[in-house]
Amino acid sequence: MLQEAGFKEVEQVAETGFNSSPTTQAMLFRARKLAAFNLGKNDPTGKGAMADYRSFFERVYAEGALDRKTKHLIALGASLAAGCEP
Amino acid sequence: MEEKITQEDRNRIQTGIQGKYRKVAQSPEGLFKYPTGRAGLEALQYDLEILKALPDSVVASYCGVGNPFFLDSVNPGDTVLDIGCGAGVDTLIAALMAGPPGKAVGVDVVPEMLARAEENRRLTGIENAAFQQASGEKLPFEDNSFDVLISNGAINLIPDKAAVLKEAWRVLKPGGRLMIADQMLAGAPPRDPAVRIDKWAQ
Repeated sequence: MLQEAGFKEVEQVAETGFNSSPTTQAMLFRARKLAAFNLGKNDPTGKGAMADYRSFFERVYAEGALDRKTKHLIALGASLAAGCEP
Repeated sequence: MEEKITQEDRNRIQTGIQGKYRKVAQSPEGLFKYPTGRAGLEALQYDLEILKALPDSVVASYCGVGNPFFLDSVNPGDTVLDIGCGAGVDTLIAALMAGPPGKAVGVDVVPEMLARAEENRRLTGIENAAFQQASGEKLPFEDNSFDVLISNGAINLIPDKAAVLKEAWRVLKPGGRLMIADQMLAGAPPRDPAVRIDKWAQ
């Protein structure tokens, strides 16, 4: 269930001994939400967040009311004004 | 395969939980099959130096099933969320570990437990902790808000566990850590669905 939610490095670490009933066991679990820069490496299927970001990027710069060249020039101007360095 | 829980089941679960934890908010002593209060904290090997910083009445309100802080660190400056914080002992410990400018937030659905948590906070004088009423199934926080998410004996009580875990993933920052202590069913669930709901808080 943790992995289905998106967690990685899921570990069932140990029992605690504080069982609430004869049919239950208290356990310790840990997991991580991977940092964004890992998402591409762990996504060989081409699905997931990086694929979604590429799709978003392409849609933003697609030809529309403004053509692709104009959009890129606007983005270039904005990044220069913000001091955004490569 | 998880059986579907109806709205009527959810209502009965909620009533059962509210009723049980109304009593727990007064005192957990004798209401669980494992030690509570200071005995529970010491048996679970919580940091004794941190326990010394908490008043006796705060320590007495503890009723966790494990020590989530065994699993990973809470670092100075971290923001921590405690799902199903109850009387808030773990939340307050996390707030001490994160220390300002870090902070800890606890959420719970039982008003009496939240009131006890707020009273505990007042008794400790801890300022970088806060409590609010919310369910783990629908967390009132932005995406990517917390460095650490803890939960101690609470998710087992929540009907839609998959929703809680998806919400936990959503509100954690990339690189964030999940640390949970909780009850797992070791055998088969009761065959009679009505018994399963009646024994939900067991």
